[in-house]
Amino acid sequence: MAEKVPHFQADRGEGRPRFAHDVELECAKLLDYYGIPWEYEPHTFVLEEDSHGRIVEAFAPDFYLPEQDLYVELTVMKQSLVTRKNRKLRKLRERYPDVNVKLFYRRDIERLAQRYRLDLAS
Amino acid sequence: MAELGAAIAVDYEGREPILVAGLKTAIVFLSDLSRAVPIHHNLDFLALAAYDGNGERGGRVRLLKDLDLSIRGRDVVLVEDVVDTGLTLNFLVKTLGLREPRSLAAVALLDRPYRRLVEDLPVRYVGFTVPDEFFCGYGFDLDGTWRNLPDIRLVKPAA
Repeated sequence: MAEKVPHFQADRGEGRPRFAHDVELECAKLLDYYGIPWEYEPHTFVLEEDSHGRIVEAFAPDFYLPEQDLYVELTVMKQSLVTRKNRKLRKLRERYPDVNVKLFYRRDIERLAQRYRLDLAS
Repeated sequence: MAELGAAIAVDYEGREPILVAGLKTAIVFLSDLSRAVPIHHNLDFLALAAYDGNGERGGRVRLLKDLDLSIRGRDVVLVEDVVDTGLTLNFLVKTLGLREPRSLAAVALLDRPYRRLVEDLPVRYVGFTVPDEFFCGYGFDLDGTWRNLPDIRLVKPAA
């Protein structure tokens, strides 16, 4: 990602985040602007292990908002292509019923971008 | 509107609440709501700096226009055009809460609870829970225009 990562004030994670996608950077900037503490991919949840206990599937939601105790996952995939992500989320909820996670779809993000005039060029 | 006004009147009878609206979108809603609240109340306004996407400058949301009235010991009803992520309302609740109002609640014309990032907000009155669509008119703008349409219109994306 070409854009320079700013110095965040509400980042409660360890180390500087390395965002995988521009939309994650924009979301971090928005949370920071409104003073909502956040962490970027702080936890990886094991979804499936093989018979030897080796991890075969895991899921690391993009953000954790500690004050809300909420995980947020963003996806910019088209609605028709999010089946895999939905399946992961379903498994996460089944295996960790106490974990509060929200998935923001491309459509949600586009609406947020309209409302907050986010730069989601890519 | 009549239902919202009546509900507020019942809850705040004899307490003369302050209805606080953010500029600019909520002013149309506030003007109708105020006339539908048949008890004594005050009006006040504030304006927040809009997010400009330049988080790299380390900017934080801030008040561009503060309240004229003191809210200490008063009942405050925040009048919101729409509540979705809850980021703006959360900021207002925290900021105004420091001024020790007697109570702080919110009325939202439109609500999108499924898009909430911040829960536990005092949204006590809701006009309509709306689907994930874009609206204009009745104070809602589309690139700065169409606020003056007399009612809320659904904006359909270009084919």
